[in-house]
Amino acid sequence: MPSVAVEETRGGPSGRALAQVSARPEAAFLSAEDRQRAFERFEESSAQRERPGRYWKIDLDALDLSNYDPEIANPGNLAEVDMPPHDRVVVTDLLTASRRHPDVFRQALGSALGDAPSKFAALARAFASGGAFVYVPPGVALDAPIELNYRPRTGASFPYTLVVAGDGAQCTVVVRTVSDATGVLSCGVTEVVAGERARVDVACVQSLAPDAVAIGTCIATGSAGAFVHFCSAQFGARLAIEALEIDVDAREMDANISLLFFPRDEQHVDVLSTVEHRVGDSRSDTLVKSAASGAGQARYLGNIRIHPSAHLSDARLKDDALLLSRAAHIDSVPALEIAANDVKAYHGATVGAIDEALLFYMESRGLDPQAAERMIALGFFEPAVERFPASVRAELRDALEAKVKK
Amino acid sequence: MSSERGLRIRGLRVSVAGNEILKGIDLDVEPGRVHALMGPNGSGKSTLAFALTGHPGYSVDGGSATLDGTDLLALAPDKRAKSGLFLSFQYPAAIPGVKVSNFLLATRNALKTDPLPPAKFRQLVFEKMDLLDMDTSFLGRYLNDGFSGGEKKRLEMLQLAVLAPKYAILDETDSGLDVDALRAVGESVGAMRDDASGKDTGFLIITHYPRILQHIAPDVVHVMLDGRIVTSGDAHLAQTIEREGYDTIREAQSANA
Repeated sequence: MPSVAVEETRGGPSGRALAQVSARPEAAFLSAEDRQRAFERFEESSAQRERPGRYWKIDLDALDLSNYDPEIANPGNLAEVDMPPHDRVVVTDLLTASRRHPDVFRQALGSALGDAPSKFAALARAFASGGAFVYVPPGVALDAPIELNYRPRTGASFPYTLVVAGDGAQCTVVVRTVSDATGVLSCGVTEVVAGERARVDVACVQSLAPDAVAIGTCIATGSAGAFVHFCSAQFGARLAIEALEIDVDAREMDANISLLFFPRDEQHVDVLSTVEHRVGDSRSDTLVKSAASGAGQARYLGNIRIHPSAHLSDARLKDDALLLSRAAHIDSVPALEIAANDVKAYHGATVGAIDEALLFYMESRGLDPQAAERMIALGFFEPAVERFPASVRAELRDALEAKVKK
Repeated sequence: MSSERGLRIRGLRVSVAGNEILKGIDLDVEPGRVHALMGPNGSGKSTLAFALTGHPGYSVDGGSATLDGTDLLALAPDKRAKSGLFLSFQYPAAIPGVKVSNFLLATRNALKTDPLPPAKFRQLVFEKMDLLDMDTSFLGRYLNDGFSGGEKKRLEMLQLAVLAPKYAILDETDSGLDVDALRAVGESVGAMRDDASGKDTGFLIITHYPRILQHIAPDVVHVMLDGRIVTSGDAHLAQTIEREGYDTIREAQSANA
């Protein structure tokens, strides 16, 4: 990727900064009016997923972003792309996409986010200034993953990834947000639009510097028979806020969410997953594996909503949390709202320390207590790791091992 | 450290949550010999197994236990394993996410001073699985996770064969097994003892049914009642228990008292 000078605004993502962003020619893939509407939505709406509680004290509405000045990057500057060559698959920046593929782009952009995006998704849309457009035409099946790497360098960045899979298309997209840069804010959106019987796997891996703020929204909509799988791993940043939502609005859709997070030391992670079964004869499966050590804190809210007409929905949500120190804390709130009669729905959550019986079993076979604990903790994550695309599993295991060791 | 070989237990007293369970156990298991420890439920057999392996819930109140002269009771559980002690659990722990192959490699390399390269290790494991007539698909499964009772016990036997300890305690390995699984476990131990790496292993086989002893012939049979070993004998003692149960021994004890 060519090196491009970075221009910044001052005072964080303000109205004035938005005007500067909107005025840039590279930002023309989204109209100034669209950006302004999104910014107003950001300012008016609440991010608070529930009231700050006894342990979770961070008020998401009161986050001070004024120190994070928007980086107004040239299109494509933020994303490094690694993918197998293919003459029909499109991977490009949003501005190019809006010019060369206007119909697909215009129809898809914002179609999953809708008119009332969440607070931070609205912020990301307002300031969207880098990112990628992935288009896999109908019937095209990609075996190897498309890898997109976002490397925030300074201030605030707002990468917007739009993945469109045509009818019967298949693809795997890996979105990494990774950087050692200090004092950065990344606030991105990954939007997926899956055609009939399309299969889309998207894995988001966040490993920013320990003082960063990472905010992400993954949102998907699909047509009949579409399979969508969001995988998300949150490793870095002092505060990571992630929301994943799959809108099941067509028959025989298959919605899957797999989550890994591991706050350590003073890190906070706040994750919300939502599956909306609006149409029946559909399936969803959410698996969450989290651990916390040191004074790490996390909150997970997992929602499954089965709407009144969504008969024959089959929904499953499993959430396991492992506490590796006395000061670590994880609030886990899985919630099922079922308004249809003829459905299958399951949810379960566990929060606890490592079982002494497991430790003794391993120690009795010669593993010292630290090695036994490490092996149990890494094994705990493995069912979720194995749901990620094969190309990222090794780095996930390495990251988890580094977390467990310290 | 004494140079005397054997798993030697003297006057061992153990309590759990303040309740005295073992009231002075004396027992010697020699290399290459098979000792059976029999007794009804609640007599203290499993307590002896856990106390020897260092389970934190079991408090040793007196006595001694040495393994080839090493003071076992002074060691942490992993160090006891490193000194050559192995316990086959009655209820092996299920550990999701930890693959059998990874666990075997980690424990093998923790116990032995000569870490094996992966290819050599695979060869060793395949040999042992062949010896135990086990399918190699076990290796890719999570440790005891979703295993049937029989599969768990077979995996314990595989670990026993791969780790080749100096002394092995089999705690009610026969419990919950059907006739075929029991025979398979018996044959596993037999095959191990016929193999060069297992011929010097001393066994303490804990059971309350004599059935397993039809497949693993004991050199010595001990009977434990109420936290004490009350009588010892040869394999005929197990046959007597099969015929008459523990009542005859219990009555004889009462008469002697």
